[in-house]
Amino acid sequence: MSTATAQQLVALSKRSVQSILRQPSVVVPSMVFPLFFVALGTSSFGRAISIPGFPVVDSFLDFALAGSVVQGVLFGSITSATALATDIETGFFDRLLLTPSPRVGILVGRLAGAMVYGFAQTVFFVVVLLPFGLSIKSGVLGLIAMMVGGLLTALAVGAVMSAMALRTGSSEAVQGSFPLLFVLLFFSSAFFPRQTMDGIYRRIADLNPVSYLVEGFRSLTIGDLSTVAVAQTIAIPAAIAVGGLGISMRSLRRRVAAS
Amino acid sequence: MTTLLSDTSAPIVAVGLERTFGSGERAIRAVDGVDLSVEPGEIFGFLGPNGAGKSTTVRMLTTLLRPTGGSAKVAGFDVATQSDEVRRSIGVALQDAAIDPLMTGAELLHLQAVLYGLPKADHTARVGELLERVGLSAAGDRRVGTYSGGMRRRLDLALALIHEPSVLFLDEPTTGLDPMSRMALWDEIRRLNNDGTTVLLTTQYLEEADQLADRVAIIDHGRIVSRGRPDELKAAVGAPTLFVAVDPAQVNTASEVLTRFGELRPTAEGTLGVGLAEGAAGVSAVVRALDDAGIGVHHLELNAPSLDDVFADATGHRLEGAS
Repeated sequence: MSTATAQQLVALSKRSVQSILRQPSVVVPSMVFPLFFVALGTSSFGRAISIPGFPVVDSFLDFALAGSVVQGVLFGSITSATALATDIETGFFDRLLLTPSPRVGILVGRLAGAMVYGFAQTVFFVVVLLPFGLSIKSGVLGLIAMMVGGLLTALAVGAVMSAMALRTGSSEAVQGSFPLLFVLLFFSSAFFPRQTMDGIYRRIADLNPVSYLVEGFRSLTIGDLSTVAVAQTIAIPAAIAVGGLGISMRSLRRRVAAS
Repeated sequence: MTTLLSDTSAPIVAVGLERTFGSGERAIRAVDGVDLSVEPGEIFGFLGPNGAGKSTTVRMLTTLLRPTGGSAKVAGFDVATQSDEVRRSIGVALQDAAIDPLMTGAELLHLQAVLYGLPKADHTARVGELLERVGLSAAGDRRVGTYSGGMRRRLDLALALIHEPSVLFLDEPTTGLDPMSRMALWDEIRRLNNDGTTVLLTTQYLEEADQLADRVAIIDHGRIVSRGRPDELKAAVGAPTLFVAVDPAQVNTASEVLTRFGELRPTAEGTLGVGLAEGAAGVSAVVRALDDAGIGVHHLELNAPSLDDVFADATGHRLEGAS
């Protein structure tokens, strides 16, 4: 990659991060809602941790952190994909296509923005909840793995949603997928352990990739540092990211070629 | 056809340019065989109503859209096979001034400088120079979301100029602007052109084409229906109308005199109108004849045919007043 190309990708990434920071209406919900869920869960279901089958935890707060991280990152990543669709709608995408910079810049820029934001969200949730008694059993190394996991989760979701943005070119369509993400999240082990679930819910949660994504973060919060836990936290989003990037790159090529 | 493309030094040439959207029975031919040749250093006006094919043509010439037929060269490069070279040579301001409202004017210009790969050391100076050029120095650090329509268009123009292109495409640069902003933008376009930039601008405003363009092409339903210098085109439509206001008592005598110079045309009450067969050159003869007949003239006005007349003549419908 030439220096000019690298500078172009950095500049477009910086723009994406700036655009997230300059929209408080976007930042606040994806930062505050997950915390709201944690607060609600901890105060309502605090004693649920003594239900037989519930993982061994010090507090419901420790259990809930993973769900809130994934929830926050999931919703935060919609922002970047929506911004990409808006770039197409407003014609900013055309403006980029008119420059001699690489076509992939617009996608890279938006995904880089999503990754920075996912990383920051993970740090934010941990820092805010520490004074309320949150403890990360796997220690600093585990926390670093979680931050990398948050970044990769943002990339994974961002890439899949970006493919949709590039296919449809419609920010409404991207935002319309919000309920779908909600369903994916609720039919997973994000808020309750699979061990205490029954019947159809259990079977859906067993099949839902979000369950395994959340459980990676969770084992790093409530358990000791282990290769399996780190691998789960990083490998699952990384695998989804690879697939997502493949689809979004194909969508980008298709959009550029169709014009 | 190919020789026509290769032998020319014209900055913009198109031969039989076509673009069809969709296929089969539902196919729409938005641009249907457009030939263009824009000379170095001229302002070329592409005039037509909404949906006539102006923007589609511009999108093809600026490499945003692949032609489905014909070919075009811009700045000496083929738009289909040398699109990168074309992009480096042209500046483009597209119709809706697609500017990120969350960024400041200066940030956008900086980004544009990076995207064109300008040497980093020159960025700040170039950005400052362009902001000043379009009168946005004071607003450079404000977010674009706070800009007025005119300011956005001026910033859009500055963005198109970052790499000092030799050919500039402006797609409806003043649509939706108030008269003051429009005139400011016209001045800027003239200044750029005086500095040697070749400009192709599309417009649905006759006055804009008339004011700015050295030559115009009128496009309707994807085809060029008329082209030439604005005054030539208007002259070709027919005789200009000479309006004469005289004493009410002398109206009859005056009409007799005027009929010698052309057919009388309908006018407002108290005024006579005659289509001057000889054109503007006939005015002095009319004045002498009226004087010889002892007729006191209160008001005299020669109205050249407008581009709207040209448009109506070529297409059978009027551009102005049409939505």
